[in-house]
Parts: sequence; structure tokens; C-alpha cells
Amino acid sequence: MRTEVLAVKPVRSARGGWHWALYLLLVLVSLPFFLPLLWLFVSAFKSSGAIFGSPFQFGAGGLRWTNFEQVFRDYPFARQYLNSVYIAALSVPITVGLAAVAGYAFARIRFPGRNAVFLLSLLAMMVPSELTAVPQFVLFSRLGLVNTHVPVILLQIFSATGAFTVFLMRQHFITLPRELEDAGRVDGLNSPGVFWYIMLPLSRPALATAAIFAVLNSWNDYFNPLIYLSRETLLTLPLALGRFTDPLGGVYWNLTLAASVLVALPVLLAFLLAQRQFIESLAASGTKG
Amino acid sequence: MTVGARPARRGLTRSGREGRLGWLMVLPYVLGMLLLVTGPLIAVLGISLTQWSLLDSPRWVGARNYLRLANDPAFVRSAGVTAVFTLGILAVNISAALALASLMNTRLRGIGIFRTLVFSPVVMPVVAWALVWKFLLQPQGPVNAGLQNLGMADSNVLFNPSTALWTVIVIEVIKAVGLNAVIFLSALQGVPPELHEAARLDGATPWQAFRRITLPLISPTFFLVFIITLIGALKVFTPIFVLTGGGPADSTTTLILYMFKQGFQFFEFGYASAVAAVLFVLVLALTLAQWSLRKRLVFYED
Repeated sequence: MRTEVLAVKPVRSARGGWHWALYLLLVLVSLPFFLPLLWLFVSAFKSSGAIFGSPFQFGAGGLRWTNFEQVFRDYPFARQYLNSVYIAALSVPITVGLAAVAGYAFARIRFPGRNAVFLLSLLAMMVPSELTAVPQFVLFSRLGLVNTHVPVILLQIFSATGAFTVFLMRQHFITLPRELEDAGRVDGLNSPGVFWYIMLPLSRPALATAAIFAVLNSWNDYFNPLIYLSRETLLTLPLALGRFTDPLGGVYWNLTLAASVLVALPVLLAFLLAQRQFIESLAASGTKG
Repeated sequence: MTVGARPARRGLTRSGREGRLGWLMVLPYVLGMLLLVTGPLIAVLGISLTQWSLLDSPRWVGARNYLRLANDPAFVRSAGVTAVFTLGILAVNISAALALASLMNTRLRGIGIFRTLVFSPVVMPVVAWALVWKFLLQPQGPVNAGLQNLGMADSNVLFNPSTALWTVIVIEVIKAVGLNAVIFLSALQGVPPELHEAARLDGATPWQAFRRITLPLISPTFFLVFIITLIGALKVFTPIFVLTGGGPADSTTTLILYMFKQGFQFFEFGYASAVAAVLFVLVLALTLAQWSLRKRLVFYED
């Protein structure tokens, strides 16, 4: 299913008063989506004393960057940021690469047992990955890999995210016309050649869709890091956001929100720059399952 | 650039070579999947028949974990919480998504900004979104202050067992509804405008037009969104865990949270696996129902 939602051409409505009533409604309706984000970005610049006050009062010192400085100075946040970045940078290309190769075989190559294996990967896609946490934990702790990034990375690649990416790529390759392959074969390409020189270059949009999906899942992954990582310097960002607390668990909201801005900003900026790709990628995850 | 076709290897037909190639291509993914998903899935069913804590070795107890589940008030409660959470998400998300999609479908200048605003929580990192709301809902926070200014009693909605679950539902719907809205939007845009024009000429009210024309035409999408939202709601862990940790008084402990607590806070691996097995059967049944019903609905698609 393609989501052509960005293709609507706005035309001026001719119904005068209705027009403005509708705009008012749109503004009101968008508040619950927009205000929390606005509040987050504003509060990240406030002192802990002013943070619960009106959003437009910054208190003594006005708008301040000290929260951001403190986040990096007093906490291993830079290290945790690096952890999240490198885990995504490592797991996403592997996830998408394996999925492209496997997806092509599932779509276009007939081999014994194909349907059975594909059914298993559909199962891996549908089952909530939390359900398999106990045996996975036993396996990884036997291997001495608790408190390393290995389980977090491997589970990104092979668990639900990976399975869905395989499915996405298979659905994509099925839609490519077979004539292209035949043409390639006539030109003397073998199957890997057809895949590499013809099918893959035609798949950039699908690869982008899969990559966006995989990046977001890696960036958001909370459950597996929660189980496998406890040492502060090993944490990834979603867990790290919960660590700006006093020893009794009281939250330093100014630091938490400043750190949240740093986690959210790259994703929101990427979304604003590539809205169509983001919406298509996420809508695909909704409709193709 | 072309790569010359290699001469066929002796003893292998073309389809034999194809078969080997196919296996070779899926093998890296499939091996990992078998080891990390399929295997563990079978293992969960096995472990659910044992008593096993972190330190000792598993002891076979047969179906005793399942009997214990049936008599465990906390489990029964979390099943109830899951039911309310799932149905609540379904009802609020789908009706809001339809309404938002209808708004997005109006041809106004600047409507794209509205769509962007509604969709942006979808891409917002899950934990950051939950933490912002946790901040907004602090007793001294702006939401509570606003409610009190409106004359409502001091109502810490996130920290009150009777309102926490619905608060989490609303926060989760605001986060996710933009996705369902754009899916509905693309379905709405597939409805030919002539049909509405004709209905209007025949004197149909907007509601009648929606009920009799739009809804039947978008029913395949509606069904799809319904099932995906349902299964998705059963999987929700992170926002609940960050917002309430399952509290207050276990009022937001869904089955997934209950499984996590049994497994990774009390280290009752056997019992946690029994909870997982129950959830597995539930999700599997819903998935199979989806597939079989979709086959019947495929007729309508495209």
C-alpha cells in the first residue's frame, strides 16, 4: 500500500466563515500533539527551580544551556550517546543487508523448504519479542555476554525488527517485474549478478524504508538493554534518560528533559527533512504486517 | 558491467543450483532467527513446565505453573488490566484516527502542517515521550495545575490507581494515533468524490454519507488497522514501564509487565515462561484470525 498522503494539492476553500472555524478546530486538535514537544524543548533550558512554572518564565538567569553542559559533565552521557549511535550504525546495515538478501531469495528463488522457513520468519515478526526474553537471557548469560552490547545488537538484527525487514524486502522484490531479471539473464548475468546489478539498484526506496524502520527501532530499544545492561557506561540512551535522579530516585527534571531533547532532536529533524519517507516507512510497518 | 555466466557445475541441474543459492541467501538470517527466536519460542514452552530460579537448575513441575496462574489474583488482575488497556487503546485510537484523517482530508491551505504536527509524536523516541508526560503529570506539574484551575480537585491522574490506566492509554494514543490517521487518510483519498457528491444531491446528511459510503469503502483498511492496533496494544511495554512501572497498586501491570516482573525481578523463570506462553497463544490466535479474515477481505482491496 502506498501512502500518497503528501500529494494533496491544497485549494482555497470558498466557504468563508467555515474556513476559519475549521482552522480554529485544527489548531485546538493539534495542541495535545504539539504542546508536549514544545514544553519539552522549552523546559530543557530552565533551572530546576523554574521548571514547573509557566512555560514562558525562565526564572533567574533566563534561557540557559547549563543543563546540557551538566548532562555531559556529571554523567557518562557522551559515552551513552556513543553507545546508541554505534549500535545503530552497526546493527542497521547488517539488518537491512541480511534482509535484502534473504528477502530476494524468499521472493524470487524457488528452493525446497522455502515456504516453511518463510512461515517461521513471519512467526518471528508477529510474536512480541519480549516473550522469548527468558530463554534468550539464559543463553546469553551462559555465554557470558550479559553486560556487553552483543545481545542487544544480535537481537536487533534477528528478532522482530529483522524479521519485519525481511518481510518488507520480500514484499518489495515480489512487485519488481520478472522481465527485468530475464533481460539480465539474456545479457549473461547469473542469479547473484541479477540481484546485485539489477534488483538492488532498483530497491533504493525500499531499502530506505527498511533502514528508517530499523534505525528507529534500534534508537528506541528499551527492553533488551534493560535486561542485559546494568553498568552505567554501557547503557544506551533510552535507559540513560532514566538515570538523572538523586540517590532516593527523585528525578532531576531539568537534566532529564535536556537529555531527552538531545535524544529526540536528531530523529525529529530527520523526520522534518524526509517526511514522506518516514511516513511511508512507518505506514508500511502498520499495513504490511 | 556484466558478469559472465559460469559453466554449470557437474552433477547439479539448474534448479538444483537455484535451490542451493536460495538456501545460501536466506541462511545467515535464518540461522540467527532459529537460534534467537524460534528456538527460544519452543524453549519458553518447555521452561514453562519447570520451576527455575536464576541460581538453581530447572525442576520439572508439569502443568503446575499453569494451575498456579489460574489461582493467582495478581495474574488474573493483570489479564483484566490488559483487556481494559487493549480495548481502551482500540476504541480511543481508532475513533480519533478516523476523525483526524477526516480533518486531514479537508483541502485547506496549510493542512500539511497539521499532518506534520499530528504525526510528529509517532517518530518521537518512546522513552522521551513518556518522560515528558511524566513530567507534565507530576503533582506540581502543569496538567494538574491546569485541572485545579478549572476547579477540579487535586487529581494526580498518573499516580491514582483508579485513573492511571486510562491516563497511560491516552498518552499512548496521542503518541501513536498519527500513524493510523495517515493510513486512514490514504484510504479516504481512495474514495471517489463523485459518490459523496451524488449522496449530497440525494439529500444524505454528512453522517449518513460517512456511514453508508465512506465506511464500507474503507472497511478493508479499517479491519487491518483494527487488528494491528489490537496486537500492537498487547505488546506495549516501554511506555507503561517508564510512566508507572506497573503501579500504582499494580493498576497498570499488563501481562507483558507481569511476565517481566516474574522473570527479571523475581527471577521465577518457569512461572514467567508460563505467562509468556499464555500471551503467545493469544497473539498467535489473533494473528491467525487476521490472516484468515484478510484472505476473505482481499477481494475488496485495490
